Amino acid sequence: MLVVKNLSKSFNSASGNVTALDNINMRVNKGEFASIIGKSGSGKSTLLSMLGALDIPTSGSVEVDKVDIAKLSASQQTNYRARKIGFIFQYYNLIPNLTALENVMLALEFGGMPSKLRKSRATELLSDVGLEPEEQLRKPSRLSGGQQQRVAIARALANKPAIILADEPTGNLDSETGKKIFNLLHKLSRTKDVTILAVTHDMDIAGKTDRTFKLKDGKVTV
Amino acid sequence: MNVISRGVKNALRSPMRSGAIILMLAISIGLILSMLVARSSVDSQIEDVKSTAGTSITISPAGIMGFAGGGDPLTSDQLTTIKDTTHIASTTATLSDQMESTDTNLTASLELGSFGARQQRFSDSNTTNDAAESNNTEAASSRPTPTPRTTVTGTTDQNSVSTDGSDLNITSGESIDGSSNNLIALIGTTLATKNNLTVGSTFTAYEKTITVNGIFETGNKFQDSGIVMPLATVQDLTGQVGSVNSIVATIDSSDNVDSTVTALKAALGDKADITSQAEQAATSVSSLESISALALAGVIGATIAGAVIVLLAMIMIVRERRREIGVIKAIGGTNAKIITQFVTEALALTIIGSIIGLSLGVLVSGPMTNSLVSSQSSKTSTAQTSFGGEGQKPSGMVKGGMDQIGNNLTQVTSSLKPSAFAAAIGITFIIAIIGSAAPAWFIARIRPAEVLRTE
Repeated sequence: MLVVKNLSKSFNSASGNVTALDNINMRVNKGEFASIIGKSGSGKSTLLSMLGALDIPTSGSVEVDKVDIAKLSASQQTNYRARKIGFIFQYYNLIPNLTALENVMLALEFGGMPSKLRKSRATELLSDVGLEPEEQLRKPSRLSGGQQQRVAIARALANKPAIILADEPTGNLDSETGKKIFNLLHKLSRTKDVTILAVTHDMDIAGKTDRTFKLKDGKVTV
Repeated sequence: MNVISRGVKNALRSPMRSGAIILMLAISIGLILSMLVARSSVDSQIEDVKSTAGTSITISPAGIMGFAGGGDPLTSDQLTTIKDTTHIASTTATLSDQMESTDTNLTASLELGSFGARQQRFSDSNTTNDAAESNNTEAASSRPTPTPRTTVTGTTDQNSVSTDGSDLNITSGESIDGSSNNLIALIGTTLATKNNLTVGSTFTAYEKTITVNGIFETGNKFQDSGIVMPLATVQDLTGQVGSVNSIVATIDSSDNVDSTVTALKAALGDKADITSQAEQAATSVSSLESISALALAGVIGATIAGAVIVLLAMIMIVRERRREIGVIKAIGGTNAKIITQFVTEALALTIIGSIIGLSLGVLVSGPMTNSLVSSQSSKTSTAQTSFGGEGQKPSGMVKGGMDQIGNNLTQVTSSLKPSAFAAAIGITFIIAIIGSAAPAWFIARIRPAEVLRTE
């Protein structure tokens, strides 16, 4: 379960103090598939980085399974990201000189899995997201966008995270493939009982999620 | 697949760029090694020159050089003073004389020539009568005809006659004991041939019968026309007991040369002229020292170049993979792991570069050392020719020493010592460490949140 209380984030920029997130309160239950919509500059990415322990809020708390991740030190945050959070990006962000299999194994390494077990676990994860054994040995440049995003999803799932944060997961895919990826995420949230929070522009997709948060000028307007 | 193998794999990620970096590194590492080799070869040669030639000094009576000049020979008291000076390890004393045809039954083998004739014009004119002064033309015509003379050298060490600094080459017979006063002699090969002398022959000198103990050959016409006898024998025969006209002293260590020369000058006052080979050697060695300094500058320069190449390459690589580093951080990679991966990458590039560079260095260090030294030693040899002067005794001895120094200068041979090799490898690691330190700092500063920036 994800609980956000009175979360604020402001930056010091050249034009003065900018408030990116203003007193945000939200709650997502375990196994729920929620979406965040909003225009660019509304604070979606900032919110995602707070939820993903990539940045520290100015005030407020982010509780994931009763742990306030906003209060963690930098190295605790890193450890937390490795074990409890999975990321899916718009541009997949796979490591280009590693194969699909190695990309997933890399996440398993950071999650602390013994090296002997990594390969079989990665193979299993990639099969779950629908990648053929032959495709698993290819480097990202030899996979289609949809296939790359499947690898990214497998990587995000690798360490059985409490929450998966997806930043425009279908934004770089054609509508057909986008639909398939969405369905995959939806299925996973059910079968693996994982909380998924996706930032999207696509109202079609947002409409199909369990819950939608609308972000405007750093505030949640339900 | 662990962090180390990822680093090595990344090093070869872009073959063209890695190749260029490795090539540049190899050149600078090759240069480092060859400069280190040149430096150690030159340094050991400087040590050689200083230790062999630098410890001997020549003491002559003030105003006398060979048979020229004027003054009194050194006395046995002065010889004792010299021997008792601290740091003097050994001394070789010589007394030379020239025999006219009235002193010996030998025929001189040295042509008199115009030089020899000119040398004799004063000594012989002393015997002409005072009346001659009134008419110069008459006086000149009344002089006796100059005659060629034979040089007799009395020495405590026969090897002092050698002109090239090595032991005297005795072609037949045996050496003589320099400390005895026996009536024995070593005859120069030219003089022996001229007078049909062989080992065991006898001849007359200063009204005594001398036995030929051996024949020597130096290749120097002046020396090969002379006679070598024990010092005491010559002193007895010429009635100059205790007198010597040249002393070559060896000092225990090259570090003590300056202080010993100063002490001797104080003890002997203006009675003696002291020539130190160390002073001469210092000027010869200075060119070698400049090569050594040049080589050190080369090592430092090439090290800086190598470090800068790795540094810039790694900074470029880190900047290029900024997003990738952000992703690794976002999915839980620690700074330590990422930095280890990049340091491994820098090390892999450096190691490949150093393997190529060191083999390159082994190949070029020899020719490079030789070309550095030969271009420098041609300068020093011209500086040396002004020294040595006439081929007479004391200067001849110094010239022998200087020839030895000259040989040393051209004999700098490059030798690849394990120490130079180890130093090159050590420097290579310094390059890799410097080269990856700054990128590590950049890596630590990359915020994982940056991956969420939309492109």
